Amino acid sequence: MNFSEIPALIEPLLIGAVTTVEITLVSLLVAVVIGLSFALIKLSRLKALHWLIDIYVEIFRGTPVLAQLFIIYFGLAYLGIRVNAFPAAIIGLGLNGGAVLTEVFRAGLAAIHHGQREAALSVGMTPWSTMRYIILPQTWRITLPPLGNYAIALLKDTAVVSAIAAPEIMFYARNLVTSTFQTTLIYILAALLYFCLSFPLARLVDRLERRGRAWT
Amino acid sequence: MSAFFAVYAEHWSNWWPQLVPAIGNTILLTVFSFLLAVVIGVVLALGKLSRFRPLRAFCIGYIEVTRGIPSLALLFLIYYGLVPLGIVVDAFVAGFVGLGMSAGGYLAEIFRSGIQAVHRGQREAALAVGMTPIRTFRYIIFPQALRIVLPPLLNMVIILLKDTSICSLISAPELTLRAKDLAMMSFLPMHLFLLAGVIYFLMAWPLSLVTRRVERRMRRGMHGATN
Repeated sequence: MNFSEIPALIEPLLIGAVTTVEITLVSLLVAVVIGLSFALIKLSRLKALHWLIDIYVEIFRGTPVLAQLFIIYFGLAYLGIRVNAFPAAIIGLGLNGGAVLTEVFRAGLAAIHHGQREAALSVGMTPWSTMRYIILPQTWRITLPPLGNYAIALLKDTAVVSAIAAPEIMFYARNLVTSTFQTTLIYILAALLYFCLSFPLARLVDRLERRGRAWT
Repeated sequence: MSAFFAVYAEHWSNWWPQLVPAIGNTILLTVFSFLLAVVIGVVLALGKLSRFRPLRAFCIGYIEVTRGIPSLALLFLIYYGLVPLGIVVDAFVAGFVGLGMSAGGYLAEIFRSGIQAVHRGQREAALAVGMTPIRTFRYIIFPQALRIVLPPLLNMVIILLKDTSICSLISAPELTLRAKDLAMMSFLPMHLFLLAGVIYFLMAWPLSLVTRRVERRMRRGMHGATN
């Protein structure tokens, strides 16, 4: 191992880290939008959509992300739909996360005592403002810790998208290895970089969890 | 649409015999990594609860580090990163060791919270009636903690089953790798990755149904205990 090469190696890895963060944030957003809307639909009277959502959740939670990414990236190309690596990564991780978060939000919404909703409606609030001002703020507090844990898992799952050549940390690491042969050092640096990204996030989630417990 | 499925009929006799051993390896990878994770998890959980400071620090460090880095980075480090140091690990072994080390950090936290969830009066009472600390753990703490950790433990099996797919990236001969090879040879990626997905689903779904049943039963049991 040649430690004097670290600065030259860390630079491309940091470029990859920017993409890693981008992929994490965008797919987190997609997952939250899917998760929250599907959880709300499951509470609604749109019964026809319930089983569709159930199937979606079961399928995406029952198969590996890697298989999902391969279907989106390689499989769709075969059908003539070319998706670039970056959007493919976001679609794959976002859909996968949407399934996880549908369950998280559903549990969060179910945990709110129905008296809250009834009281809000009986004092004359519209269903919409009941949701907006009474239900969602309380759900938010309950779902924040599992949401944070999911964000950490997602950050680590982005490593897998290197398999469809999305230019994130592991992708740069693999390229660096073929050009410099500093295998051990590069993979240690890559692992350290992930740790530096996820550790602060984990501490934050810990704090939220403790604060959440203090409230209840 | 029927043309799409006709392809399966045409290639099935060629694909299926090649996929069967790969499925076997996927199951073996899951089982081995789970067993390793349980061993690591128990050791770390006990270490983290011990009164010996350096041991506790080591266990906390291990848990934080493995929880903070992706399994894939760990797999690459074990499979490729050790080669320059003269340590060559077989892809299959590197696969389950990496996944097991990673999952071990998670299980440690699950076990620790399970052990701590057993009321300490249980331990005190056992010691008071003259049981040794080891017997107390073996007959009083452990059986009660096991009930608590069973659902998350089963969940971990499902997570590991799905995570074994990333072992394909270090060329461990499992389902995803075989599907990828066949996809490249036949130029039918959609068919093979869909098939792989279906096979994973058929393995994971029954497991998740069992897990949900156990979860429900455990909750009922807990309720009975407190009432």
